[in-house]
Amino acid sequence: MAAAAETTAAAGVLAELRARFPGAELTAQATADGIPTAWLPPDLLLEALGYLKSEAERPFRFLYDLGAMDERWRAHRAGLPAADFSVFYHLVSYERNADLRLKVALLGETPAIASVTPLWPAAGWYEREVWDMFGIRVEDHPDLRRILTPPWWQGHPLRKEHPARGTEYGPFEVPEEQYEEWMDDLRFEPQKWGLPSAEDDPTLMYLNIGPQHGATHGPFRVIVGLRDEEIVHCLPDIGYHHRGAEKIAERQTWHRFIPHTDRIDYLSGVGNNLPYVLSVEELCGIDVPERAQVIRVMLAEFYRIASHLVFYGTFAQDVGALSPVFYTFEDRERIFDDIIEPICGARMHANWFRIGGVAQDLPKGWERGVLEYLDYLPARLDEYDRLIMDNRILKARTVGVGPVSVEDAVEWGVTGANLRAAGYPWDWRKQRPYSHYEWFDFDVPVGTTGDSYDRIAVRVEEMRQSLRIIRQCVENMPDGLHRSHHPLATPPSKEPHTMHDIETLITHFLGVTWGPVVPPGEACVYTEGSKGQYSYYCISDGENTSYRTRIRTPSFAHLQALPLLSRGFEIADLVTILGSIDFVMGDCDR
Amino acid sequence: MSARRSDRPSRTGIALHSLLESEQPLVAGPEGNIVMGSLQALIAWGRKYSLWPFGFGLSCCFVEMATSLTPRYDIARFGAEVLRISPREADVMLVAGTVFKKMVPTVIQLHRQMMAPRWVISMGSCANSGGMYDVYSVVQGVDSFLPVDVYVQGCPPAPTALMEGLLLLQAQVATERRPLSWVVGQENVTEAPKVPLRDLRRPQVQAIEELRPPDEV
Repeated sequence: MAAAAETTAAAGVLAELRARFPGAELTAQATADGIPTAWLPPDLLLEALGYLKSEAERPFRFLYDLGAMDERWRAHRAGLPAADFSVFYHLVSYERNADLRLKVALLGETPAIASVTPLWPAAGWYEREVWDMFGIRVEDHPDLRRILTPPWWQGHPLRKEHPARGTEYGPFEVPEEQYEEWMDDLRFEPQKWGLPSAEDDPTLMYLNIGPQHGATHGPFRVIVGLRDEEIVHCLPDIGYHHRGAEKIAERQTWHRFIPHTDRIDYLSGVGNNLPYVLSVEELCGIDVPERAQVIRVMLAEFYRIASHLVFYGTFAQDVGALSPVFYTFEDRERIFDDIIEPICGARMHANWFRIGGVAQDLPKGWERGVLEYLDYLPARLDEYDRLIMDNRILKARTVGVGPVSVEDAVEWGVTGANLRAAGYPWDWRKQRPYSHYEWFDFDVPVGTTGDSYDRIAVRVEEMRQSLRIIRQCVENMPDGLHRSHHPLATPPSKEPHTMHDIETLITHFLGVTWGPVVPPGEACVYTEGSKGQYSYYCISDGENTSYRTRIRTPSFAHLQALPLLSRGFEIADLVTILGSIDFVMGDCDR
Repeated sequence: MSARRSDRPSRTGIALHSLLESEQPLVAGPEGNIVMGSLQALIAWGRKYSLWPFGFGLSCCFVEMATSLTPRYDIARFGAEVLRISPREADVMLVAGTVFKKMVPTVIQLHRQMMAPRWVISMGSCANSGGMYDVYSVVQGVDSFLPVDVYVQGCPPAPTALMEGLLLLQAQVATERRPLSWVVGQENVTEAPKVPLRDLRRPQVQAIEELRPPDEV
């Protein structure tokens, strides 16, 4: 029923495009996730996107993702337009609760494409990434520089011919001249960034913060132009935490990429495994057993609490309250010591979800730690309300600081708790339930003004809601399998067909060593992570590794919106705003 | 009152006793109130218990490093809780996380800004060797451009592992001999040889016969 409705919707939006642009060559592509996907001729791109964004009824106002792909080595592309590279635009319409993926085929070694920044200024960073990673020139882009790799980088890493491994480069050495050259590259020159120099405007002062700074929560750099203490220019500079996760995805087997997902948003542990395994399961067509689903929900919610607790404590520290961090880290420690470690065996990077289920069934006696924690945390959260949320100084530093409206939030790709803080009650767990979230009873907390205070308040309430969900998990934990018997579930089950004859043994052996060979196709499933909307757009070419994995992370979009949030405020507020948007550099730079 | 006091060893006495046990060339008097030994040894002992770490975080490991400051682990017990945000005030640089090529000039600059004597702890697999990230953007081990004193393994290492690394560094600092002030030319620092913990622990590990089953809490 749901699937049928989705196909109609898919046909609907493509038919709408065909009706609006008669005669245009629009090639529909079937995808495993059911998201309507079509290839557009390059000259129609801006017009079609413009129509979808503002003219269409119930428009697609949210440019969720923009990325590219090297199509040259792709074997399974029957029925698709000829292409060496392709650029995709993933749009979301909240009004329709629907998605649309548009692709443009590009030919040649160094192709070019028109910039969509006139429509969505938020496309700026995404297009810089396309240039940096693929060497696709984006024409009329206001500021086309490398974004993730350093300015001296040779080549474009996500092209198939670019070296993947660090060890392919030989020993790493930094001669003195090299060091000085790199330090020169780091020097901020306003003209290069399209800004007036301090000589031209003597009232302006530039201040460089980062890439190593106490308030940036990791290697993140931001340059602010100040007039007295007021922020007039704000220029975030990222890429100091680029670990090449998307390139690694193209060499690890589907199964062996799971530990790398843990380290994307490194505070959320299995919360990162989830969108990845959901996408791969969508590609493989695996139905995950109910018990595995509920185990996943429970662990993901625990990690949401753990991540929010880190946020809560460090945020309070950022605005000058030095003690809360000692309380919240102790609560996080209890999650790790009493629940995550006994169940998963690790602390931060549990690496516990598998394609088709979870790594192991829950150990005997798991409930005790969970139930104790459910009784323990609410009182602590009440105490923190008095300690942190009711604190006069904290309120003075956060209320009204860095607000964002719903319109701006949608325009700039703000998702998750930051979007809800602005007053838009959108939660993918409710709107498009995955892993049986529809079974659980919980509320979606929203803010009103989207200022820094609301962003904390929403997260605090989310922790209480997560506790509610976890209690329902404990009380209703289904019996049954913890991992599917589907042949592509990994590691493959020995039941019911293995160990009977040599054929089944070989199949099992290959499943363990080579990993599953995932059928060709494309899938992308959203989850509501602790920082915002997470997804892995997995493209299989019928191999035991991914052909391309696009990781869309919330911190990237949120940091891009930093100038919007901080302009007009004072320099001290920048620290408040940075703390309140709850980002992780691993999540931003991947 | 005075008789009772002499029954018990004083706090200084206990600390000095532990120094004696670790074969320090410091000699404590029978009641623990007189110390004899070289000034160098005394300074090394003082340094050992006041290693101020540089609050320098790169990625996931930094969170576990921060956790080691919080009550359950409380790295203050070893005198290393004074996290400095400025490298000029810090003694030990904890390279906590992945060393990205784009970050290399910054890391070198920060290390140079630290005053001698300075030490480096490489925390976690990425800083040790690149770890899971054998990828174009990551340096395969911070020791390719910084002198590392202690390597802490783990991905990320639990706070307890970091603290063990700190204790190893303390043992090294206590036995190091350095000039008492700045000198022109060679500093002539004598360092104790570094022994891999793996080798030291091998008999212990080999003695383990039973492992806790994973299906119980």
